[in-house]
Formats: sequence, C-alpha cells, structure tokens
Amino acid sequence: MSDLLTYLGILWPALLAGALVSLSHVPLGQQVLRRGIVFIDLAIAQVAALGVILGQAAGLELQGWMTQVAAVVAALLGALLLTWTERKRPEVQEALIGVLFVLASTAQILLLANDPHGGEELRDLLAGQILWVSGEQLVRAAVLTAVFLAVWFRWRTRFGHAGFYVLFALMVTMSVQLVGVYLVFTTLIVPAVATYRHAASRQLLLGYGVAIVSYLVGLGASVVTDLPSSAVIVWAMAVIAVLVHLTARGRAPVDLERH
Amino acid sequence: MIRRLVSICAALGLLAAVPAHAALRVLATTSDWGALATELGGDKVNVYTATSALQDVHQVDAKPSLVARARTADLVVANGAELEIGWLPVLLRESGNAKVQPGAPGYFEATSAVRLIDVPSSVDRSMGDIHPLGNPHIQLDPRNVAAVAKALTARLAAIDAGNAAYYETRGVDFQARWQQAMARWDTQAAPLKGAPVVVIHRDQAYLARWLQLDQVAAIEPKPGVPPSAGYLASLVTRLGADKPRMILRNTYNDPKAADWLSQKIGVPVVTLPFSVGGTPEAKDLFGLFDDTLRRLLAAGR
Repeated sequence: MSDLLTYLGILWPALLAGALVSLSHVPLGQQVLRRGIVFIDLAIAQVAALGVILGQAAGLELQGWMTQVAAVVAALLGALLLTWTERKRPEVQEALIGVLFVLASTAQILLLANDPHGGEELRDLLAGQILWVSGEQLVRAAVLTAVFLAVWFRWRTRFGHAGFYVLFALMVTMSVQLVGVYLVFTTLIVPAVATYRHAASRQLLLGYGVAIVSYLVGLGASVVTDLPSSAVIVWAMAVIAVLVHLTARGRAPVDLERH
Repeated sequence: MIRRLVSICAALGLLAAVPAHAALRVLATTSDWGALATELGGDKVNVYTATSALQDVHQVDAKPSLVARARTADLVVANGAELEIGWLPVLLRESGNAKVQPGAPGYFEATSAVRLIDVPSSVDRSMGDIHPLGNPHIQLDPRNVAAVAKALTARLAAIDAGNAAYYETRGVDFQARWQQAMARWDTQAAPLKGAPVVVIHRDQAYLARWLQLDQVAAIEPKPGVPPSAGYLASLVTRLGADKPRMILRNTYNDPKAADWLSQKIGVPVVTLPFSVGGTPEAKDLFGLFDDTLRRLLAAGR
C-alpha cells in the first residue's frame, strides 16, 4: 500500500506539469505549425541556455532567480530577433530559425572552451526532468500559464508577430525547465499535426485531449515498464496522435496558410 | 476512468518494484557502490543502483523507480565530490525523505572515506570542467575501495543496529578477501610499473597512481572540452616520436578520439571497464580489477 501511495505521489506532480505545459503549448503549437516554424522551440531553448552561459562568462554569480533572468532576457532577445527576420526575410524564416539554433549551440561550445568550469552543470541548468518537478516550479508554471491563457484568448488577434514571439519565448523558457526539451517539442508539434485535418472549431479541444491523455498514458506506461518517463510520454503521444489523425480521414485537407 | 487508470498503473508498478520489506532499502548512485553495498549488506539490504556502468553518471534519466526509491530509501550511498551534482541534490530535495538528506546518518558519501587527488589549489576556470573538491573517480584504486568498505560497514551497523553484528562479520570477511586479492593484483601488475600511457582525461588518475603508470598525455587536456586542432597536432608529433605503450579509454567514453590517435601513432587502445558492469567480465568489484588488469597486461605485452 505504501508503494502504491509512493507511485501516486510521484505521478501527480508530473501529470500536473504535463497538463500545464499542454495548456499553453497546444495553442502555440497550432500557430507554429501554421507559420511553418516548427523548430523554433529548440532555437529559443538554446538561446536561453546561451544567455545563462554568457551571464556566467560576464562574471555574474548565477544562482536561483538570476539564472532565470539571464535565460528569459536572452530568450526575449532571440524572440525579437526572429520577429525582425520574419519582417525582413519572411521567405526564409524557418531556415533562419535553424541557423539561430546552431549558432546558439556552438556559441556555447566556444564560450565554454575558454571558460568551461561547471560547463556541464550550466548546460543542464535549463534542462528539466518531468519526474523531478518541484512544488515551487509548479506554482510558478501555473501562474505563468494563467497569464498566458488570459492574454492568448483575449488579445490573440491583436498582438501580431512580436507579441507571438515574446509569449512563445517566455512559455518555452519555463516549460523546458519543467519537462525537458523533448517533451516541449512533442507537446508543441504532435497535437497540432494530429488535429490539423479536423474541423477548425474542434482542433483546440482535440489537441488538448491528445496532449493530456498522452501524459496520463505515458506516465502510467513508464511506471509499469520502469522506463524513463519523458521518452515513454513522447512515444505515447505519437501513437495517440496517429490514431486521432486517422479519425479525420476523408475530410478535405485544410491548407496550412503559411505567412 | 482516469482514477481507475492511475490506480491500475500504480498497482502494476507495485508488482514491478521493490518487494522486500524487512531489508534495509539502499539507493546507490553508481554500480560500484551498489556492488559494495551488496557485498557488505548481504541479504539484509535491498540495493537499487541509479546508473549503469555504461552511462555517464553526471546525467541520469528519471525513471519512476528511481524517484520511488529516493522516497523510501533508508540509506543513500553516493560517490560524492560533486560527481552526482547534476541530479542527486534535486532528487533528494524533492523526495521529502528526511532520513537520507545530506548530513543525516542515512546519507553516505564514498569520497568522505578517502583522500582525493587533483584537488585544485585554487578554482581556476581556465583549467577545464574540473571538480573543485578533487578527482571524484576514486573506485579504480583498490585501497580506496577497502577504505570505503570500512566506512560503509560502520554506517550500516549504525543505522541498522539490530543487524550490527551481521554487518561487522561480513565486513571482516570482505576485508580479508580484498587484502588477498590486492596482494595478487600487485604481483600481477608488476610489469605495468612505469608504463607510459595516454589517457582520455582524468578518469583513470587513481588507477594510474595505484599501478604507477606514467600518464604522458591526455587527449582531452581540459576535461569536458574538446581538444583543439593545434593540440592534437602537437600530440601526434610528440607521441609519434616517443611512443607510449597504450592509450586507455573507458567503455563509457566515446571511442572516436582514442581510435583516431591510435591510428595516427600506431599504439593500441585498451578499453577498460571503469565500473562494475562496464565489461561482461567485471561482474563485481573483484571482477572489475581482475578484468582491468587482464586487459592492461594483454596490451602491454
């Protein structure tokens, strides 16, 4: 009995983290897919990590909230850069996002080549593990998600490119630390791909369903098999997404309007 | 529906994990200290090992059973010297298990029982990804293993007082067998004394000190930082003229760098287990040293 309670105690914070990430990432992901910029979360996560390493190199004692500030500032700068490139060179925006990803990643290698102390730990600072979510992190994520949902559903039509990129950078910097980069990418893209051929009015709710049920099934399967939870959830979501995608068969394909 | 699913999952998890109840629940961070806890605790302990030998112990994938064991453990056997700094502090903090927090009797660090080498006199950030407390990879010197065993026996007896006599007996028995094995290893290793070797980085420092190997070069002069082109070129020139006997790497290291250098200078690469389970032969701590020496001697011939 105590073991059962132990497992329930492990699962519920992870499930809550997954649900919180899903709430913001499903609508963001449908937007990302529509814009054809699917690798933007990887780029933003690398830019945030670069911010932390730059802060360290500049001699800041990066502890606790200072790390967050460095990561968020860098992510926002990255977001503004991408807003600018989308205005100037919209036709190659996805390529530029890829380039930003490799530049941010390799800049970390170059910085750490001369200042590598604790490099491993610094690089891992922004990489979360869904099973190790703390109560404090959940509270922070819940507040940020509530603000996001209010802004998103009230002003979405009005805030334009810059608003989208800024919101995106904030949410991804938070979620990567909560559940790790694989789950962030999956939660963003997979429900969007699963639902894009369904009726537009149902896409959001269906996407939420795909994401949250996948976290539940994936966590359960990870307990049963004792395999690393993040990887199991990713696969659960992929399988569930294929099933949901197939239920839309026969409908006319909806064009993804690319900007 | 959801609640039923969760309870089914949890019930299945219950079947899969940790059946023994009477035994002391041990969470070991590495296979070496897990093996030692099993040697010393016998059937009075139930040992869970967080990482496999082929895995980088700096990073760990969170499995449900690991988090469950952290919550229910009676004793955590960590390596210490910041080897697990990337994950163990978070895991223990989130476990809410007061028995195994650092400083509590249920938290044991192997490195607390030995003197570390490579302790930097000042933390100089230009030196690489070094550990400020000293080199943490202590398990490859059998004298260290003996010292850790002594401390761990005392700790087991302290936190499980009812079985103290049992642990003392097993401890004495282990030390006797270990001393015997060490005498054998010392004899076997005589031809290796002073052998010039190339290492990947500082992982084998304790092994080199024990066997008195001469570490003439490191492929990664700054741990954790890929070597520059200029450094590799100078390495090939220097070692090509004055050939070392072998290049050492551990099974968990990427083989590319060692193989590359081996081809350039025509010196064999020796792959060492590094930890219990690192090679099929290194089944326990005795096997770890038997196999390490066998591989070194085979290449040194």
